Amino acid sequence: MIRIAAVGDVHLGEDARGRMRPALDQLGDCADVLLLAGDLTRHGTVSEARVVADEFGGLPVPVIVVLGNHDHHDDKPDEVTAVLRDAGLTVLEGEATTIDVNGHTLGVAGVKGFGGGFAGKCGSAFGEPEMKAFIRHTTVIADSLGAALGSLDTDVKVALTHYAPVPDTLRGEPPEIYPFLGSYLLGEAIDANRTTLAVHGHAHFGNEHGMTPGGVRVRNVAQPVIRSAYTVYCVEPAVVEV
Amino acid sequence: MTAEQYLSARLRQALAEDPRTTELGVRVTVRGDHVLLSGDVASPERRAELEAVIHDVAPELTVLDDVKVVPSDAPVGREEIR
Repeated sequence: MIRIAAVGDVHLGEDARGRMRPALDQLGDCADVLLLAGDLTRHGTVSEARVVADEFGGLPVPVIVVLGNHDHHDDKPDEVTAVLRDAGLTVLEGEATTIDVNGHTLGVAGVKGFGGGFAGKCGSAFGEPEMKAFIRHTTVIADSLGAALGSLDTDVKVALTHYAPVPDTLRGEPPEIYPFLGSYLLGEAIDANRTTLAVHGHAHFGNEHGMTPGGVRVRNVAQPVIRSAYTVYCVEPAVVEV
Repeated sequence: MTAEQYLSARLRQALAEDPRTTELGVRVTVRGDHVLLSGDVASPERRAELEAVIHDVAPELTVLDDVKVVPSDAPVGREEIR
């Protein structure tokens, strides 16, 4: 069994320093890995990234991260990424990483993701340059998620995003803003690559449980949704067919 | 849209874009002389900042604050995904 802890949207800053730490001190007893589903900071500043690095650095399990829209607000995603990597966190954007857990392999592919909407109710790369750029940003990211998932040959595959791959986990948000909360293109990439579990954040008023059209479980781990420092999912590696 | 809806939209935009708050996860509901805030923030200080930004934009409104500080305790139990 592989125990996957996850949380998103912790929105740390100097005023929230240390709030997660008491719960994180118990993490080694209940999880094999911690996934952070973006929006780690409020404004995406380097100083806030240092608070995140202090909060999640030095834990007894690997910490795997994607950035969220808040982490881009100060236009310094590379600097934020560097601060987190210096603290030993693995930051993914169109990449994958593999860890060994009790003789099994866990692969995590991560992207920030972006909006656009869900099948039948979504934008198209058509018309004004701003609209084309908006949708193409999603397309490029979804393609990189698919490639990263496809590069994994592990017992368990997890897709880690900030934006939602399905609308199921957005219930509770106003339907009018779904196109700003996620894209079906992320779900399509997840379904095309034999993924075990998809984890995202971003939708504070959404709900935890959902599923892709292809039957992959989706979990919204935004902290206001899970209402704890993190939550833990236990996944059994697939039994090898003889 | 009524004037209340426009005001509600302006207040929500202020909470999202003002550097003191940058909160996109707080609901704003205007009813007459009152504005109700609800949702979650990461620290007690941020609740006070929400009220300060609302007061700057609409000092005539009385703020009703249902915002909570999001719990950061260790989880109870775990989910087994089969």
